Amino acid sequence: MLRKLWLTLHALVLAVGGLGVGAALASSDVLVIDLVNEPATLDPHKQWNPDSYYVYRNIYDNLVTRNTAGEIMPQIATSWKVIDDTTVEFKIRTDVKFHDGTPLTAEDVVFSIKRITDPEFKSPQLGQFNSIVDAVATAPDTVVVKTGKPYPPLLAQLVKLSIVSKAYTERVGDEELNLKPMGSGPYKFVEWQKGVKVVLEANNEYWRGKPPFARAEFRAVKDAATRIADLRTGKADLVVALNSDNAAEIEGSSKLKVLSAPTERVAYLMMNTQFGPLTDVKLRRAVAYGLDRQLIIDALLGGYARKIDVLLTPAHFGYVEGVKTYPYDPEKARALVAEAGYPDGVSVELVTAPVFDQRIVQAIQQQLSKVGITVEISMSDMSTFLKRRRADPEGFGDMVFGRWSCACQDADGVLYAMFHSGSVWSKYANPELDKHLEAARSAMDPQVRLKHYRLAHEIIADQVPSIPLYQAAAIYGARKELQWTPTANESLFLMDMSWQE
Amino acid sequence: MNSFLAKRLGQTVLSVWGVITIVFVILQLSGDPTLLMVPEGATQEEIDILRRQLGFDRPMIVQYGDYLWKLARLDMGVSLVQNIPVIDIIAPRVGYTLYLAFAALLVAFGIGLPVGIYIGVFRHSALARALTAVVLVGQSMPTFWSGILLIMVFAVSWEILPSSGAEDPSSIILPAITLGALSMATVARITRTAIIEELGKEYVRASKARGLSFAAVIRRHVMRNASIPLITIAALELSNLLAGAVIVETVFAWPGLGLLAIQSIEARDFPVVQVLVLLGSVVYIGLNLLADILYSVVDPRIKLQGGRP
Repeated sequence: MLRKLWLTLHALVLAVGGLGVGAALASSDVLVIDLVNEPATLDPHKQWNPDSYYVYRNIYDNLVTRNTAGEIMPQIATSWKVIDDTTVEFKIRTDVKFHDGTPLTAEDVVFSIKRITDPEFKSPQLGQFNSIVDAVATAPDTVVVKTGKPYPPLLAQLVKLSIVSKAYTERVGDEELNLKPMGSGPYKFVEWQKGVKVVLEANNEYWRGKPPFARAEFRAVKDAATRIADLRTGKADLVVALNSDNAAEIEGSSKLKVLSAPTERVAYLMMNTQFGPLTDVKLRRAVAYGLDRQLIIDALLGGYARKIDVLLTPAHFGYVEGVKTYPYDPEKARALVAEAGYPDGVSVELVTAPVFDQRIVQAIQQQLSKVGITVEISMSDMSTFLKRRRADPEGFGDMVFGRWSCACQDADGVLYAMFHSGSVWSKYANPELDKHLEAARSAMDPQVRLKHYRLAHEIIADQVPSIPLYQAAAIYGARKELQWTPTANESLFLMDMSWQE
Repeated sequence: MNSFLAKRLGQTVLSVWGVITIVFVILQLSGDPTLLMVPEGATQEEIDILRRQLGFDRPMIVQYGDYLWKLARLDMGVSLVQNIPVIDIIAPRVGYTLYLAFAALLVAFGIGLPVGIYIGVFRHSALARALTAVVLVGQSMPTFWSGILLIMVFAVSWEILPSSGAEDPSSIILPAITLGALSMATVARITRTAIIEELGKEYVRASKARGLSFAAVIRRHVMRNASIPLITIAALELSNLLAGAVIVETVFAWPGLGLLAIQSIEARDFPVVQVLVLLGSVVYIGLNLLADILYSVVDPRIKLQGGRP
């Protein structure tokens, strides 16, 4: 027995010693990134979650993209011309090659558009692209895109369209494309060890220039504390999805730094205007006066989030300022609660899911309790939460705390779904508002759209079907030497990163 | 033996069928994954289209029948989230979970057994009391806390072990210790009880009278008799370890089935969850069957009859 123990100890020491050697071989030319989950798929037309996007967006190029300031910029498309209300002509680059050496042509762009809009393909993103009814390659470097109706957010949506190789996809099939992606982007796919990591290597013939790292590895580490441990031991160079508490831990370190950027995620408190006590606008205004949003931002979010007064962020087209706002005023809130007919207070149900910051939910509960509104929290997992979110007014609960992201940076993607009477996500019906949202959706002139959105924001601010809480910030942790500016649309472009000399 | 095996196998199939039916029903009742797979603000029409394409608009009994029929042909289905056959997702990860479970079992027995023997034989000594306390503390610590604690000490502060993942040979150490600690006290306790019981028996006194040293008595006779409850514990703890591995795998980013289970349940990836449950129940029931068979090997007095030793 003792002898066996001794042998085991020897083996242990050898294993640990071996580790030391292994660590020394790790080169600084590999960038290791810790994500929360591994990608669900690397097929760019099949997915809708950030972990997949972070990875495949470095393998593929998109038709257009956004720069660090959030403006739409050419990528595969070099320029575009609006022919008429429903037709846009794109000129594309002629010097782009896929990783297997074949050239990227207009045919590939058309193929990509048709693939993602094909109902048989079952893309979860179909709803974002189905305004496109046709795409034609009129020349090797020209693509004409037609929409069914005038659709102003077209370019904003095309920021998310990756270009795949028609020949490759047709040859290997959809399943193989998912397992062995091949694009034209700065990084080539090397391997995907399921559950462990995805490994990419630099495409040295990339048309935009030489990629900054020879290899990139994306690991999946679900626990935030473990991600930070990885940063501190040097196992990872960049980690995502930290909260303000994690950030405080890193701030003091001499080897690490916090990177953060406001995103286009809007945190909101949506109220049920069609059933329950919050059908009364006075009570809704009471809620608005009763919330100290700045305190929540400073105390709970470490000051990383930003205060907003409309249900959009400055990163969205359609964001306006100067709309009616509700400063923190508990006295006024209490008065309104009494005026609404609840001198002894009222009880409401708040529906939420664990993925949302529960400290904020509890802060809301606490703040509202001081003005006579008792909040009962109903927590369920994401799937059940979404079910309730879409339910009829009777099953919706009274309030929902959530964060909205359309990944489009256009007001249409947020306001229409949230407030149009025809949307399943909306618990508010106002024909006046509907008119403005519809008009903004079909007008191609940005000035006309802005005019309608301003009026829409004013109606929303007056009737308060939903209260904008804050613009969420994404917080990342990185080694001090990593140069990178995170963007509002949370893209993790390796091309924009580098080591500081 | 044959009638015993046949009857037990029959019971196994029945139990497994019961488990997968219950889980199927619960998953169905919890809601389908369509909502999780569409972007924010998808219209009702888009949601309905996707639901129809995934087959979730069919009546439950039809979906159930389809599922059983596929299983009978060993078709595990395709993952809703990753769009690849479930087999391809589970197969590469089984090895990691088994590795972790056995390593943890090694830790649990490696520490629990010697401690259990000591506190069984010298049960009134001060060291025995101290050891009991240590082992008990190990069992009471929640793994999501002890795990990160070990990482902080051994990986971040002392830098001798990796902080996460399964990439290095030494990566198994911290997760195995974290997980094994859960079972240490149970193993020690069972060992202690078994030893005390055996020590009180006639044959021990008889052997000592014959001139056998105390150590030899323990080694040759007591342990053999005490091993019966230990086999039960090993089987049950292995099942426990497979379950407890979920948290340990999450903390250490260990790419096993536990982590897969959590992610698949959250994403309502029905095909993957159902196969994992099937696997889990087959393993659990199989281990119990194995334990029963081992009894008859270890103790010739035990005859296996129709399922009750």
